[in-house]
Order: sequence, then C-alpha cells, then structure tokens
Amino acid sequence: MLVNLDPHDARPLYLQIMDEVRRALVVGTLRPEDPLPSVRELSSELVVNPRTVSQAYRELEREGVVYVRRGQGTFVAPGAHPDDQERRALARGVAKRALLEARRNGVGVEELVTIIREVATEEEGEPSGSASAANQGDTE
Amino acid sequence: MSRLIHSDPEAGACAVATHGLCKRYGGETALEGVDLWVPDGAVYVLIGPNGAGKSTTLKVLMNLERPDAGTAEVFGLDTVRRGPEVRAQVGYVPEHHDHGYRWMTCGRLLRHVAAYYPAWDPAYADHLSRAFDLRLDRRVGALSKGEARRLHLVLALAHRPPLLLLDEPTDGLDPVARNRTLALLAEHLADSPTTVLVSTHQIYEMESLADHIGVLREGRLVAQMPRDELKRTVRRYRIEVPEGWEAPPELRSAGPRRPGAGREFQWTLVGEEREVTDRLTLSGARVREVTTLGLEDAALAFLPEEVSR
Repeated sequence: MLVNLDPHDARPLYLQIMDEVRRALVVGTLRPEDPLPSVRELSSELVVNPRTVSQAYRELEREGVVYVRRGQGTFVAPGAHPDDQERRALARGVAKRALLEARRNGVGVEELVTIIREVATEEEGEPSGSASAANQGDTE
Repeated sequence: MSRLIHSDPEAGACAVATHGLCKRYGGETALEGVDLWVPDGAVYVLIGPNGAGKSTTLKVLMNLERPDAGTAEVFGLDTVRRGPEVRAQVGYVPEHHDHGYRWMTCGRLLRHVAAYYPAWDPAYADHLSRAFDLRLDRRVGALSKGEARRLHLVLALAHRPPLLLLDEPTDGLDPVARNRTLALLAEHLADSPTTVLVSTHQIYEMESLADHIGVLREGRLVAQMPRDELKRTVRRYRIEVPEGWEAPPELRSAGPRRPGAGREFQWTLVGEEREVTDRLTLSGARVREVTTLGLEDAALAFLPEEVSR
C-alpha cells in the first residue's frame, strides 16, 4: 500500500491516512483480508507520529473498514468492498481540487469540463481509462 | 505587544509545565514570562529564530540554567529542587557538543553512561549505534558535529526515558542521516511511550511528527496550540477592498499585509475561517480566496513584526 501525505493539505494527517487507505481499496491495491502495515512500520516510513497512525486505524476500525486480529495486526475487513458511495466521494475530492485550481486561474466550470474532455481525448485516445486514472493518482 | 495566542490547556496530565519563566543574561532578556505546557505523550515542537530562547528553555528544564523568576516542572517535579530526579527521567540532546570525556572512545562512553541509568537497554544501544552509523572506536573529542549529534541521540534514546528534550537534534546531519534520525524517532515513539520537546528552526523536518507547536519570539511564547488547531485557524486571505477601506480592529493578524495587484492584498489571519470571512465581508472587503498554510508557514506567521494598522 502506497501512502502519500501532503503537508499543505488542510486535512489533519489522520484523515489523510484514512483517505489513502480508502483510495487503495477503490483502486484495488488493498483487498479484503490484506494486512495493513503496522503502526510502527507506517509511522517510521511516513515519519509521522505513531499516535496519528493509531488514530487513523482506530477510526477505520470504527467504520468497519478494517479489523484487529489480536497479536497479529490490522487487516482489511472482509466486507470492505468499495461501494459506489465511496467511489463517488473519491471522485468528488478530485473534482473539488480541480475546481479550486481552476478558480485560482480564472477558469470557469464549463470551460474546465470541456478542456478535461479535450485533454483526455488527446492522451492516448481513451477518455476515462481506470488504469491511467490510477497512475495519475500515484504520481501526484 | 504580542499576546500569547493559545488554546485552553486540555484536561489531563502534563509532562512539562513552566509558570512565568524569566531568564536574563546581564541586560539581555532570554526568557520573559514563559508558560510552557507540554501534554503527556505529546511531540511538542518549539520553534523560533536563533536567540529566541529555545535552548535556554531546555537548559532550565535540565537545571543547567537557573530561572531568575518563575518555576519549571517536569512530571510535577520542580527542576531546581529536584534536579537529579528530573534528569534521571530525561534524554537530552544539547545544542552544543560539549562533552567532558573527549579522550574516551564512543563505545567506552556508552558503557560509562549506561552505568548511570538502570533502564539502559544495551541491545537497543547497539541497534541505535548501527542505525546511526556510529563508529564506536572513534574518540569523542575527534567527532564531527554530525557524529557528535548522533552519539548524543544514542545516549538520549537508549535508556528509553519518559521525556526527550532535543535541542536542534538534526543540526549538522546530512539529509540521509536526518531522515534516518526522524524515522528512528518515529519507531522509538511507537515502541516506548515518550513525551518529546524538541526545538528547531527547521520546522518542516518535524512537520509530520509534531502534534503540538509553540512559537518563541524574543523570549516570549507568542503561540502555543495543538498542530491541527494551528493549521485550522491560521489561513491566508486574498481580499479585494474598496477605496479608503479600514481593517476591522477585531481581526487578529499573524503577519503583515502583502499588497497584491490593484486593490488586492494577502493577509494571514488567525481565527475560524467562517468568522474571519464574515468580519471581512461586513467591513466591505471581498474575500477572493482562502489558502491553508503548511505548518511551517502557519507557525512562521507569528514571527514577523506586525504592520501597524
């Protein structure tokens, strides 16, 4: 699982970690019964406070996305298939960030939508391939 | 006058508390009425320019300096009257490498210091020495600044003290050693419950480890709050104002107004975004954009002189 944190993001770090886990589920890099990195591993890798990782895992557990096997660690819950709602939430996040950037540059909504289609068509002729969407997410 | 901008102390135990701490060197004021409050288990990052009083604060906690007024407590123990008990519970990385045992090798010094701490963990000390690339056969007096810093980090961490006082712990380290140090610190925190008070002028390094921030400016603590609160309440507003506009006096500025193009300017303000936006709108200004700041920018906003309104 690849977790990226953005220090300039206004969201608290534990929310960013939660969203990254959800994103991994939607994209398919995390599947039910997969283990999550331990709090120690992830905090060392991201250089974040272990409390922050624990908080994220606790919240995810409360939402039923992950569960704890005593003495073994944290695993993705068997029923944690990303539903349409989850996908929608993720897409809305992308849209919000794009809109913010557009407004800053004086680009209107209609103009933005048109240009996105145009650029997508130019890029290897497949308008909304899920593979290219996933790649973009990783290089961000 | 700068007023301390802070949140109310949370309920719960605190590891470090100072009350009205003052310290003068001759005519120079190093600390002036500092009320530091470090919650138990926090990673508290103390920032400020050189000479703001960061090192002095840590030295007072170690009883290496005596305050001229005010008190300091570590786990409820007065640092002046109970100095030795306090130091037994602290791992301290000093600002300057000033060890008395210049003739000893690093390995010999580690064994020497180990004898003073019942909780010293020899296996962990070995692990840290390897992770920090410490050469145990080197003489302490011959160490470079970065090597000395790594030695001090091993000495501070290996007895797993409940409190770490780190004075610019990454100063003099190259980028690789710096990242390794921060990752080891994160692992340390995951393994042992520890409160950390760390001073730095490079806040971005500590950005993701910090959960509390204090800003020192000319010996005064001008801001002290949880990290998320700082990020939420300090934002940059791009506003457009009418001719002859005057800023509402109740706005709390955290830095100078920066002119933009035309009647636009940027201003870093403290407060909940909705409240600040309402105040600005009410005064006739148009809020064009609100930007969240990285932790460093948010904290640094408290440092420059305020522009007179």
